[in-house]
Amino acid sequence: MSYLPAGARGQTKDEAPRNKVNIKGNIALLTRVAITLQEMRWGFRLLGILDVQNTPCARDAILHGAGGSVTAGLLHFLVTSRVRRSFHVGFAGFMLTTLGSWFYCRFNNAKLRVQQRMIQDGIKNKIVYEGTAIDPTRKHGAQTPPGPS
Amino acid sequence: MAHPAQLGFQDATSPLMEELLHFHDHALMIVLLISVMVLYIITCMITTKLSDKLILDSQEIEIIWTVLPAITLILIALPSLRILYLMDEINDPHLTVKAMGHQWYWSYEYTDYEDLGFDSYMLPTQDLAPGQFRLLEADHRMVVPVESPIRVLISAEDVLHSWAVPTLGIKMDAVPGRLNQTAFITARPGVYYGQCSEICGANHSFMPIVVEAVPLNHFEAWTSLMLEEA
Repeated sequence: MSYLPAGARGQTKDEAPRNKVNIKGNIALLTRVAITLQEMRWGFRLLGILDVQNTPCARDAILHGAGGSVTAGLLHFLVTSRVRRSFHVGFAGFMLTTLGSWFYCRFNNAKLRVQQRMIQDGIKNKIVYEGTAIDPTRKHGAQTPPGPS
Repeated sequence: MAHPAQLGFQDATSPLMEELLHFHDHALMIVLLISVMVLYIITCMITTKLSDKLILDSQEIEIIWTVLPAITLILIALPSLRILYLMDEINDPHLTVKAMGHQWYWSYEYTDYEDLGFDSYMLPTQDLAPGQFRLLEADHRMVVPVESPIRVLISAEDVLHSWAVPTLGIKMDAVPGRLNQTAFITARPGVYYGQCSEICGANHSFMPIVVEAVPLNHFEAWTSLMLEEA
């Protein structure tokens, strides 16, 4: 008795074709798996939440935060010799440096993406309008080249 | 489509999904920092030697832990609302397609082209060619021109369904007797997969959505071929 629903067209043991070696199919499947594994980018998830390798600006923000935390905590300890308070200062340094680096990087990223979209639209418009009467780069008085006869 | 054991979003194919990914990264960084802060506070509470039983109140800390969460929520809400309203914009679509949900298949109608319509059934596992994806392939794909705004009108003929394509950032319920509208632009040609996202019976998991984005000349050739076959 098959436990697969009708839509999957599961076959019972008796209906299934006896084992046939499908070499071509197996090679194609293995190729597909190999390509998929290559394309997959296993990112490291900080606290199981943030994929720092594949998220733009995340890795830089965390590294800057770590550096800022160590610097702030160490400096505070060297000045005051208070261990616990230095840890608190270090933690505050981590939060502020990470946030600051993150927002600065994301803001620049967003500006770049806007420019990228404008350039893409510009390239598309140039291709569409080049040589026509409404081409904005056409010199005044110049004639459009004749079309194919 | 999704890689095996994938946890995160698929790569974005439409500008709207890019915005959603951008916002998701922003919200996730805030969530990570809050989680780190909570972990740190728990560690401090466990390791402290202080045990003052006479603390009654402290106005300063009360102000801090009221104002900071409010600022955090505003930082999350503003981009979220921006994307919410962006999703409702329908800017002069070049093509309108009706997607109708049935038990258990989708049908697509291109009413801009007189009488072009077809059903889209899942390809059974034993009919798959080598390299095709199990439970995702359909016999007829919804073909659309690339880089053109497409409007999709979604409804259902019998029970609730949901038309979802993750890489385009689209999920819209197909409700019988109601017409829901959504729009997308595909940034590049390709084949994009989705699955029905509202429980609709025994074969709910076996009615996939396949969108194929092709250059305009290929799309016009396809429509001519489909009209001839009809």
